[in-house]
Amino acid sequence: MKNRTLSALFLLAAPLALFSGCKKDSDTPEATSTGSVNFTVQNVVPNTNVVGVQPPTPLVLNSSVATTSTGETFTVSTFEYYLSNIKFTKSDGTTYAAPDTYFLVDQATAKTLSFTVPNVPTGDYTGVSFIVGVDAQRTGLTNPLDFTGKLEALNQAYNMYWTWNSGHIFLKMEGTLTSTNPTKPLTCHIGGWGNNSTPNAIVTATPAFGSNKLTVRTDKAPTIALQANVAKLFDGPNPVTLSTFMGAHMPSAQSVQIAQNYAAGMFSVTQINTN
Amino acid sequence: MAAPSPKTWVRQPLGWLLLAALVAVGSAAVAHWRQPAAAAVLLAPPANFPAPVYEVAKNQPNEAAFELGRMLFYDPRLSSDGRVSCGSCHQQARAFTDGQALAVGVAGRRSPRNSPALQNLAWHRSFMADGGVRGLELQALAPLTSAQEMNTPLAEALAKLNANPEYRRRFAAVYGPGKIDTPQFLKALAQFTSALTSTNSRYDQYVRHEPGGALSADERRGQALFQAKCSGCHATDLFTDESFRNNGLDTAFPLDSGRAHITLAPTDAGRFRVPSLRNVARTAPYMHDGRFQTLPDVLAHYAYGVRPSRTLDPLLRQPDGRLGIALTEVQQREILAFLATLTDTELLTNPRFAPPAARQETNPRGMQLSAN
Ligand code: HEC
Ligand code: HEC
Repeated sequence: MKNRTLSALFLLAAPLALFSGCKKDSDTPEATSTGSVNFTVQNVVPNTNVVGVQPPTPLVLNSSVATTSTGETFTVSTFEYYLSNIKFTKSDGTTYAAPDTYFLVDQATAKTLSFTVPNVPTGDYTGVSFIVGVDAQRTGLTNPLDFTGKLEALNQAYNMYWTWNSGHIFLKMEGTLTSTNPTKPLTCHIGGWGNNSTPNAIVTATPAFGSNKLTVRTDKAPTIALQANVAKLFDGPNPVTLSTFMGAHMPSAQSVQIAQNYAAGMFSVTQINTN
Repeated sequence: MAAPSPKTWVRQPLGWLLLAALVAVGSAAVAHWRQPAAAAVLLAPPANFPAPVYEVAKNQPNEAAFELGRMLFYDPRLSSDGRVSCGSCHQQARAFTDGQALAVGVAGRRSPRNSPALQNLAWHRSFMADGGVRGLELQALAPLTSAQEMNTPLAEALAKLNANPEYRRRFAAVYGPGKIDTPQFLKALAQFTSALTSTNSRYDQYVRHEPGGALSADERRGQALFQAKCSGCHATDLFTDESFRNNGLDTAFPLDSGRAHITLAPTDAGRFRVPSLRNVARTAPYMHDGRFQTLPDVLAHYAYGVRPSRTLDPLLRQPDGRLGIALTEVQQREILAFLATLTDTELLTNPRFAPPAARQETNPRGMQLSAN
């Protein structure tokens, strides 16, 4: 009871702390004009109610049923991941890498489902990319006591950290596999940054803009609506058969395969609003 | 000459001078007191020690922070059942081990490994028997959050500390006002754990030619044997080269693959970090799983018990193909005599490292939580 109150308090405090990490960043050398880019994230499960291609439906923890391409089903109780190293691309191929962008998206905490990248040079952008997870520099080489301020999202207190094998958990999905009889718990903790030549699960997602364009102006803060389809953890370049899946709890070759899956197909840009 | 009463001497200029001198001496004493003696060892290691690995500069030794670390180390309220502190498994008289084969945490749960001695941690490049933890501060997170040990998520531990007026006051005194956060908590603990140095055994005094540093003939023979037969792994006066080695405990390692647990490399299966042998007479039982009850058992293992496997360390394969280390009964006894000289009563009995007893008594019922 006490514990639950405490963790509830913490969950409320977490996003506040998280957003306090992305205030003004005025160390851009040139005096270029800048604007902000907002992101919203909607986690979804594929829609299998109707035959044919239907838009996915929002993920509701402990309730929505996610179906893989082979028809296996699962429900989700925890879904958290890092989005970091956000980079914007212009049509001429030049890029802007937003410094110190680390966001922890947690389906259980509404406030983490949107965030803002400030100080993006004004211009028209045609693409975005981000690491789903944390770069090796920060997870592996930065003094682990430095996860405060701009790096607050990386703080070990968010419980996205392996204490026995120092490094962040990039993505955490916990739930129940419901297509087996009996059902069985599903644990998918993905991480590993290549230290000691171990498997490296640091992957970059580049969800296409399609015909959308991102227009950054000093007086315009556009919003990129991202969608993340949880079923894609197990579909894509490396399909995973859940009935025989032992779970992922540590850096491993299979964790890397799952990371490749979510890099390839989990994220899409559904809309870009320019206010 | 009778000392003037305070009343009279403060009225006189000489009295003021005296007072000023007293204050100066007093504050010098306080400054000295603020920098714990153990810090001196980290800042200027003894002649037979290399420079520490731990970056002392990032966690400057400070007496108040050390005391705070000590309070945290011995505080069972940081565990989920309120009964287990770091000090439960790391007891001073046993060189901060616990006498158990496998450590016992909350609700009597068993850890998968034996509690190692805590000493000279500032010289460690990695922590744990498999080297999975990369820093002394980070290390504390493992027992704190492990379900078998203290079973408390970090966020919960911080919430508990922040809800406790005494901790708030003490942290604020060291780190300034504001919430107690992860770096403060881990740095304070590391102030205590990094201060647990062992540099003053009789062996140390002997090699440094200090008074009292005499070894008997048996002990010296033991030292020479140790040099010849053990120091390939238990190297330097830290008595470890910090490498990961397979010392022939088993032929296969299905339960605990050691270093391979971290590297996933089959060539690392069964390799464990070479432990220091300082205070080894006090740290029974032995090995990562506490399988040997006594030091004679350990020596018998090296002499007759080494088992073959693909990763067995080459130092434990003799030229004639036999496994282990050739040791007669007499030689084993001499090595045992030598190992006993590594006992450092300073670490084992220094009251600075003991539980802050008085404080525990004044607050026996555990931490006041804001909510229930
Ligand atoms: C339930 C018993 C238990 C508790 C409680 C416990 N430890 Fe430990 N400690 C162990 C065991 C077992 C290991 C070895 C783990 C391994 O090798 O995987 C260990 C290892 C360590 C090490 C690494 C030593 C080395 O040589 O690598 C340090 C440092 C340490 N503990 C400090 C602490 C601190 C600080 C706390 C309190 C926050 C604590 N321990 C609480 C059992 C415990
Ligand atoms: C090939 C390297 C190697 C050699 C040579 C070696 N050891 Fe070890 N020793 C180890 C390793 C590795 C461990 C830890 C194994 C484990 O944790 O399971 C260990 C553990 C021990 C321990 C247990 C310490 C503890 O706290 O649990 C003792 C005692 C010991 N060795 C004594 C000796 C003596 C005495 C010799 C020489 C006769 C010797 N060792 C030679 C590698 C070696």
